[in-house]
Amino acid sequence: MIGRLRSQTADASKFIVDWMEHRAGIVTAMEHFLYEPVPKRGAWLYTLGSAVLFLITLQFLTGILLLFYYVPTTDHAWNSVYYIMNDAYFGVLIRGIHYWSANFLMAVVGLHMAQVFFSGGYKAPRELNWIVGVVLLLLIIGLAFTGYLLRWDQDGFWASVVGIKIGSYSPFVGGYITHFLLGGDAVGPATLSRFFAIHVWLLPAAIAPFIGIHLYLLRRHGVFGSEFEYSERIAKMHEHQRLEEYARYELDEDEYDEDYDGDRHDGDGDGRGSRNGGR
Amino acid sequence: MYAPATGKGKPVEEEVITEENVFDRPDETIGFFPGQVLKDAYVSFFLLIACSVLSYVAPAPLSEPADTATIEYVPRPEWFFFFYEQMLMFFPGYALIAFGAVVVPTIFIVALFALPWLDRGPNFSSLRRPFTAVVGILIIVVVLLNMLLAVSRIINFPSGG
Repeated sequence: MIGRLRSQTADASKFIVDWMEHRAGIVTAMEHFLYEPVPKRGAWLYTLGSAVLFLITLQFLTGILLLFYYVPTTDHAWNSVYYIMNDAYFGVLIRGIHYWSANFLMAVVGLHMAQVFFSGGYKAPRELNWIVGVVLLLLIIGLAFTGYLLRWDQDGFWASVVGIKIGSYSPFVGGYITHFLLGGDAVGPATLSRFFAIHVWLLPAAIAPFIGIHLYLLRRHGVFGSEFEYSERIAKMHEHQRLEEYARYELDEDEYDEDYDGDRHDGDGDGRGSRNGGR
Repeated sequence: MYAPATGKGKPVEEEVITEENVFDRPDETIGFFPGQVLKDAYVSFFLLIACSVLSYVAPAPLSEPADTATIEYVPRPEWFFFFYEQMLMFFPGYALIAFGAVVVPTIFIVALFALPWLDRGPNFSSLRRPFTAVVGILIIVVVLLNMLLAVSRIINFPSGG
């Protein structure tokens, strides 16, 4: 009885897997993505990058949940955040995770960058991935800056006022930047709408494809944690180079001997001439 | 015949390792799943727990509602902008603040973009490209010192000064 049930379940799941494989190549794709060999020794270093990815995922998830309650108007923004913190189910947890994972994100992004910098991971052929990473860094800084105003409390409001004022010092483009961010002459309802649009739509929509490119390039060239993953191969390479060097020396000696063969320069000034004459 | 898992190049025994192919394949590999995924999961799990605990131990802050009429309120940036705010203190006045606030960071960002072409040497290890390593350490030290200065200023003048 149990045996028949089990074999029926196995058949059914095999049918589903085969069906999916035939239509979408799921199994092949899973094998390709999951069983890719990665360097063993750098495994803990790569957790920095995946931690960034995980924290950004947390940002997306808790951000969507916050959107269920948050109202982006000057009248209600602070009240809706207050409601999230005091009345909403798990509001403290949702906003807390959004806040703390954002803070961790900045720290882990810094560590991730430092790791790539000091291991030389940006070198050929991975230059493009470094550039995509810098773009992602700028997008994350933009998200951190625009998120601060949304709670519409004294801290966020006045810090944003100062931030926009700093942006207004930009040579040539300062006025345009300020006008674009403010949507008017001073920080007001239009500013909140724009920061909201930038924070929940523009920058997340921009960050998603860049994460995709970052991961695609990562897989294309393989991860590079540090040179120590390749130390045996580097040692073999040096060995090979040394042997080649020796071989070249021996070749040089042969040539030298051939030139020297038979004739001694015994001080008559023109060695070459005398040797030719001797032949 | 043994074929390497990456499918790149010749079998291990016959391969001649040169500058070009030395980084083709690491010495030791593990499958991305489960080895790497498991380690990633440990770190992610730790971060999730930390975020959850901290959200109750130290809830996300929310100060008084914004009041556009106040003048004396001294705003504080978030901690990851501390170094930037502190750096601006070294560029006082109208003439210099544009330089400190925008020009210096822009140069820094352009340098970040250009980094792969600024440092094109064949060495990967920091030990064998000391110039780049020292520049990197100096930048980190400057950022950390600026953060320390900002924190000490905030402790010294809690009401702003």
